[in-house]
Amino acid sequence: MLRLPKFEVATPTSVGEAIALLAEAGPSALVVAGGTDLLPNLKHELATPELVVSLAAIRELVGIRVDADGALAIGAMTTLAEVAASELVRTRAPALAQAASLVAGPQLRTMGTLGGNVLLDTRCQWINQSYFWRSALGFCLKKDGTKCHVVEGGQKCVAAASNDTAPALMTLGATLELEGAAGRRSQPLDDFWIADGIYNKKLSHAELLTEVRVPPTAAGHRGAYGKLRERNSIDFPLLGVAVRLDVDASERVQAVDIVVTALAAQPKRLARVAELLIGIAAHGAEFERAVEAVASTAAKQCHPLPNIPGDHEWRKAMVPVWVRRTLRAAAGRGGPVHED
Amino acid sequence: MRGRMGLLHLRINGDDVEVAAPSHWTLLEVLRYRLGLTGSKQGCDKGDCGACTVLLDGKPVLSCLTLARTVEGRAVTTIEGLMPAHVAAGGKGADPVQDAFDRCGALQCGFCQSGIMLSARALLDRNPNPSDEDVRAALAGNLCRCTGYTQIYQAVELAIAEATGKRPTPRSWESAEPRGSP
Amino acid sequence: MAARDRHGKDAPWGEFAIVGKPQRKVDGLAKATGAAIYADDIALPGMLHAKTLRSPHAHARIVSIDASKALALPGVHAVITGKDLPVKYGVIPWTPDENALAVDKVRFIGDPVAAVAAVDEDTANEALKRIQVEYELLHAYLDPRESLTRHDPAIHEGRKEGNVSKNVLLEFGAVDQALATSDVIVEDEYTFHGTTHAAIEPHCAVAQYSADCVLTVWSATQITHYVHRALARVLELPPHKIRVVQPCLGGAFGGKSDPFSLEFCVAKLAMKTGRPVKMLYTREEVFYCHRGRHPMQLRYRTGASQDGKLQGVDARVLIDGGSYSSFGLVTTYYAGQLLTGPYAFPTYRFDSTRVFTNKPPCGPKRGHGSVQPRFAFEVQLDQLAEKLALDPIEIRRRNFVGEHTTTVNGQRITSNGFLACLDQVERASDWKTRHGKLPFGRGLGVAGSMYISGTNYPVYPNQMPQAGIQLKVDRSGLVLAFTGGNDIGQGSNSVVQYIVAEELGLALDQVRVVAADTDLCPVDLGAYSSRVTFMVGNATIDACRKLRTELVEALAAHWKIDAKRVRLIHGEALDLEDSTHHLPIVEVFHLAEERFDTLGATGSYNTPELGGPYRGGTIGASPAYSFTAHVAEVTVDVETGRVRCEKVWIAHDCGRALNPMLVAGQMEGSAYMGVAEALMEEHTVNRFGLHRGPSLLDYRIPTSVDTPELAALIVESLDPEGPYGSKEAGEGPLHPSIPAISNAIFDAVGIRLKHLPFTPGKVLAALAELRAHSGEPTLAGEAR
Repeated sequence: MLRLPKFEVATPTSVGEAIALLAEAGPSALVVAGGTDLLPNLKHELATPELVVSLAAIRELVGIRVDADGALAIGAMTTLAEVAASELVRTRAPALAQAASLVAGPQLRTMGTLGGNVLLDTRCQWINQSYFWRSALGFCLKKDGTKCHVVEGGQKCVAAASNDTAPALMTLGATLELEGAAGRRSQPLDDFWIADGIYNKKLSHAELLTEVRVPPTAAGHRGAYGKLRERNSIDFPLLGVAVRLDVDASERVQAVDIVVTALAAQPKRLARVAELLIGIAAHGAEFERAVEAVASTAAKQCHPLPNIPGDHEWRKAMVPVWVRRTLRAAAGRGGPVHED
Repeated sequence: MRGRMGLLHLRINGDDVEVAAPSHWTLLEVLRYRLGLTGSKQGCDKGDCGACTVLLDGKPVLSCLTLARTVEGRAVTTIEGLMPAHVAAGGKGADPVQDAFDRCGALQCGFCQSGIMLSARALLDRNPNPSDEDVRAALAGNLCRCTGYTQIYQAVELAIAEATGKRPTPRSWESAEPRGSP
Repeated sequence: MAARDRHGKDAPWGEFAIVGKPQRKVDGLAKATGAAIYADDIALPGMLHAKTLRSPHAHARIVSIDASKALALPGVHAVITGKDLPVKYGVIPWTPDENALAVDKVRFIGDPVAAVAAVDEDTANEALKRIQVEYELLHAYLDPRESLTRHDPAIHEGRKEGNVSKNVLLEFGAVDQALATSDVIVEDEYTFHGTTHAAIEPHCAVAQYSADCVLTVWSATQITHYVHRALARVLELPPHKIRVVQPCLGGAFGGKSDPFSLEFCVAKLAMKTGRPVKMLYTREEVFYCHRGRHPMQLRYRTGASQDGKLQGVDARVLIDGGSYSSFGLVTTYYAGQLLTGPYAFPTYRFDSTRVFTNKPPCGPKRGHGSVQPRFAFEVQLDQLAEKLALDPIEIRRRNFVGEHTTTVNGQRITSNGFLACLDQVERASDWKTRHGKLPFGRGLGVAGSMYISGTNYPVYPNQMPQAGIQLKVDRSGLVLAFTGGNDIGQGSNSVVQYIVAEELGLALDQVRVVAADTDLCPVDLGAYSSRVTFMVGNATIDACRKLRTELVEALAAHWKIDAKRVRLIHGEALDLEDSTHHLPIVEVFHLAEERFDTLGATGSYNTPELGGPYRGGTIGASPAYSFTAHVAEVTVDVETGRVRCEKVWIAHDCGRALNPMLVAGQMEGSAYMGVAEALMEEHTVNRFGLHRGPSLLDYRIPTSVDTPELAALIVESLDPEGPYGSKEAGEGPLHPSIPAISNAIFDAVGIRLKHLPFTPGKVLAALAELRAHSGEPTLAGEAR
């Protein structure tokens, strides 16, 4: 079978122990959470670590709670299945629960963790392939090569952020709690990304993501996640749309946020949606007109590339459709949007 | 603890076993090539097909993406464990899910079915009376290339029916009118 | 000749005890409990692990190979290249153009170049990276149209046809005249994309070479006999020194029909090292092996009279064969020969051309060679119905070819339940009240087809039986059946068990089956062309009837009664006229053994002389044809272009259903595979000639939540020559799914999809074109 490269495995039982191991090993060490992203990538020889540090035995990284300040705190090693099923998450952060429920298939959600999904490596049809396959075309920018096969002459890797939960968390204003040898820091997710498919995050190799914090949501919070994919299970997103819609007691939109993923190296926040939606009722003809306007501005702002497999022209055509459907779902307390 | 080759302490089908394996080996490799538990299959190499599904603390996971080292201290159930558990609990022969799969024709080539039966077993352990939709969702991570899933659903339905006293839905080809023609 | 005896449609003892009812499979519980042993489950003491080095170029000359650094790696036991296995082979003996490892040239990305045996897979992989191969690149052909006209460089040198693999041009009757006088003509082009089998078990083979020079190869093959022949040829060993065993097989669908590189490599490596050797392909390598459905570009011109009766069909088909011949000779014939039912073609011409390209080689996939033309023709038939304002089911009825007749190309049709199939799907789908009347976006489509139950064209021409079986009767009461037939999950071993038990009056647990082991079992030609139930079934009846005569005679003599009074059923022997006479069958075995000595019997089957009196007339000539009709129901999301197949009603005439549950499983599995080919799957290469996504993530096969509801409706037109009247069920039921979906999309939204697969992008483009054409802002059907 397709083999993993040879490495050692460490199974620390505390965050401190894990950080010490990482600090000691340097860049030759990699962290594994659920393994559902890292292990296929290792089998493809996208990395050849000497040490793999598993977080599976660190109990303190698992759990969902509400802090005194009303924030939802989710341990990085909490599985996607647990996030999707959690009443706390479903009521306080519906878009996140929905996004988690649509990641891959049932087994992978049981294994995969929230932290792992947020930190998922970028994906591209030219990179998520075996060493032999990649060698046949002289490799690519992201690993072992110098050319981009997506954009001719491209100098910047455009592998796509494919993490379903990240856009949902961005609409929720989430913060990542990171811990390294130098101590702890809180990192707003909005400012976590770098527009580079090779490594798209501001996270050093010796840092651990320990917790994801979602600030308290408004009383009229509505959220939904829409995922475009070819099959209704297993597949990565061809497009992901997360929506937050806060309404007041009279159902008027108070705040709105839409983040789209699976386009390029980082999730993309749509601009100009607030001016189109704030102040109007979250239902009826006026809302429908606004939804149309948001969909058409989304179409202008989003430009899917032929980076991930599939027809990118169709993905482009689906941007307004998915934005429309996910907005309506959020307004109507529905979602997730995935079936056609 | 770390090391390239070491002794693993695993709990497999109720037994504590010690086995030496290189640290980069997956649980699937240890099961198949160290312990001889070849009922867990390898179909896709990397988590795309579900043939290697085993239960970890009762929940279906993919053993091809699980480092063996990381499941020490947790209970692993493979397809080989179902019948002995059923017998130990006073049952006779194969687990009712396995038996229903056989009686419904769900085992064509059989290669993917260890994983599917374990996914089904886990579902029924969690919810003895799931809806059709629950069943489809629970099996959505296991690819089958032979059956079109129909006889798999019928098998799960039969296992549920026999456990709950319900009547399974008649199959399309079992209509009362004779199947004959010219 | 006994092998050609007809055994009749009837139960051996008046009524069936086992046949016709749902039964467990002979190997079901072994599979259910994880006890069944598949190829990769075999581990032999001291076994080495082998890996293959593959070409990273689509077309190149090999200048040199230096394996010295690989051999120097500790743990590496042997490296072999094309020089070690220079003899060419091919599953069709007329077109041997493959080498186990490339000699001089590579012809697609993934072509095997060298193989390494080492102590473990990691070491073998490390060794592969140390083999240095120097290539000289050649022009790569990725477009079959280019291969039609350009022959330099040739993909296979020294052929006078250049890059054309095979051409077949056959004409039956005066087609041009018939078309010239037709009331209506439909002419159009269609495209069938490539698809692959994607059996969940990857290819795997294990070889052992004993001290007395016997080579044993366990392989995940669906044709043990051809692997046996190919090994003898390539390894230049006497066939009696080779044993080939097929362990439990994890799916095949035609994808394990050819002899494959790994079988020769493990054999050679075992001979070279004196140790058992295993090779297990990665999923990626399985995609390179391919042998999947040929992409075809099809042009059909069909003429009919005003009442919808077909007058003539003129077909031109361009077939993209990929890099090797494989079964391509047969594919090229099948692409025309298998279309002449269930509808009567008064005149017919087809011109099929298969070309080589530098892509993974195509071969037989479920419904070999005929799924693509069937798709095109059934869509064209719908276009014809539309033009004539006829109901699509009605036009199919009007052209029914009939039973006990001969087709325009000389194929003998025996039983034919096609009209009953149409009736069944029409009724079950509520066609009359729903077709053409469903809300916009939802539609029904119909299609029909026929398929072979084996053919009388043995790949290696000879007069010996196509199927043989041996029975061994044990004093314990057990009967062991030895069959060369390959059970690939379809249940052929179970069919043997059911027939033996039925014929000899045994309980099912008194019959066990040993199969697909060339040392132990008589030759059977293997699991392809849907031949196994028909041919092995007949051979089994043949053997049982010989044995039964002895059992009955011994018992009649013991009871001193007329043999006609004896009945064997459920493991008991009874006297129909004296209820005090009864014995367990095991005692009858003892009586017979005392009377006749050690008990056993052989049985065989060969086809009658069949086929038209012309070159290629036997290809596609089957002793019996199965018939199928589908109605598919789809919904089309006009905003996304996504087509969802909601349900397929599958009516299939399989003759007598020996086990209706297994028949239904074949029907459902076939329809599932067809739906997947229509809507989801595509086996294709990128601009480098490299497979786009050789994984089960990127080659998307439907999950449980993507598969429509499947309703199997069994039709039994008892065949005069099938075992108890039985015919095939494993491949025929795939064919109509694809055109039925296209036709249903037309019913749903008014677009005619002629180019597979029906992706959302194509649907949106067709909808846009329709809107532009109609010049109206809304679609024609939206008014409904």
